[in-house]
Amino acid sequence: MNFDSIIYIIEGISVTLQYTLVSIIFGLIFGVSISLCKLSSLKTLRWFGIFYVSIFRGTPLLVQLSIIYFSTPAITNYNISVFEAGIIAFSLNSAAYITEIIRAGIESVDKGQFEAAKALGLSYKLTIKDIILPQALRNILPALANEVVNLLKETAIISVLGGADIMRRANIISSEHYIYFAPLITAAVCYYVMVVIFTSFAKYLEHRLKIA
Amino acid sequence: MIEIKNLHKQFNDKPVLVDINLSVPQGQVLTIIGPSGSGKSTLLRCINLLEQPNKGEIIIDKEVVSNSNIQKIRQKVGMVFQHFNLFPHMTVLQNITYAPKKILGLSETESKTRARDLLKLVGLTNFEKFLPSKLSGGQKQRVAIARTLAMHPEVILFDEPTSALDPEMVKEVLQVIESLAHTGITMIIVTHEMKFAEKVSDRILFIDHGKILEDTTPKKFFSSPKSSRAKEFLSKVL
Repeated sequence: MNFDSIIYIIEGISVTLQYTLVSIIFGLIFGVSISLCKLSSLKTLRWFGIFYVSIFRGTPLLVQLSIIYFSTPAITNYNISVFEAGIIAFSLNSAAYITEIIRAGIESVDKGQFEAAKALGLSYKLTIKDIILPQALRNILPALANEVVNLLKETAIISVLGGADIMRRANIISSEHYIYFAPLITAAVCYYVMVVIFTSFAKYLEHRLKIA
Repeated sequence: MIEIKNLHKQFNDKPVLVDINLSVPQGQVLTIIGPSGSGKSTLLRCINLLEQPNKGEIIIDKEVVSNSNIQKIRQKVGMVFQHFNLFPHMTVLQNITYAPKKILGLSETESKTRARDLLKLVGLTNFEKFLPSKLSGGQKQRVAIARTLAMHPEVILFDEPTSALDPEMVKEVLQVIESLAHTGITMIIVTHEMKFAEKVSDRILFIDHGKILEDTTPKKFFSSPKSSRAKEFLSKVL
């Protein structure tokens, strides 16, 4: 394997990062919305939240991705691109996990905090926003960082549909040169370095939060 | 004025409060005494609907307490908890100013001035920038009392305010509570501090197995209790 091949694989980082970043942003937006559904006093919204999480955690990401990519053109006549399918599948999937992370974070706050807020006459909305969430955040952030790492690694699935990410590029080099070890190790190192950099950044944030 | 009519409460078929009837005039200091598990805390928590009664009515200032008006009513019925429940991410001052600002619409300066007056009252003038985690139990409870007072409550419910404290911190909290008695605020106190109850209360309620067994003056209760259960209880705790 020559130097150009290595560069070719490394350039996949930008593709992988695009998938990760866009998906985590949408995942967060959906995840927060669905956890609000789950906290809602309306039964239908709560049921929707439970149903959503159950479906997206209960089926493999690869299956979700394939359904979105292959059946969208048939059902809607819209020719969905690999990138669009990837973003939709990854966001919807990670939204389910983020929902659970937020729920667990809120439930980890001492019951006495809800009672104190109630006893002062605070509305539920203010209680969640000003009293509960700031405390829940300490538990939510580390778990959220974990979810970002997971998502970053799971985007490798997009290579199955031909998205030109790190993994796909490593496969291309492998089949061109009939070598597997070097390209795949290069891909592994790329993922690992990204995860390490992100994890140390998350640790730093967590630390700052603890001091505050 | 608080009125409780035919109040029943049960947890999973186990009756905790049985047909409680009670009327507390404005400004009265009422202490509820009883063995653990007798239902005294539950009675207190039913008044501001932290527990939902299964039957009966609670009437505060001629308004029947229900889920639709409870938020308004809680603004004039303060509560002090056994475990303080201060907001750990806010400073002492923020703990006290938060609710008046958000609910009563006080300005930053108004709420701060009021909070500083209250901190002076509870003897914690120099602690306003502290986080609750830096305070002792007694100090936390005094901040919690100040936080409750900041809402100008007509009623304060004290749920075993000294039970989670180290013995040497009990007195500083009791002194603060005592200083609030007979200032016009109705106080309903659940406590195990008998000497304090005798000194501060206008009226004593003795509860066992969810029923009011005695409803009398402190003098009569401590010198000549009527029920045998109260006699037995007092002989153990005094």
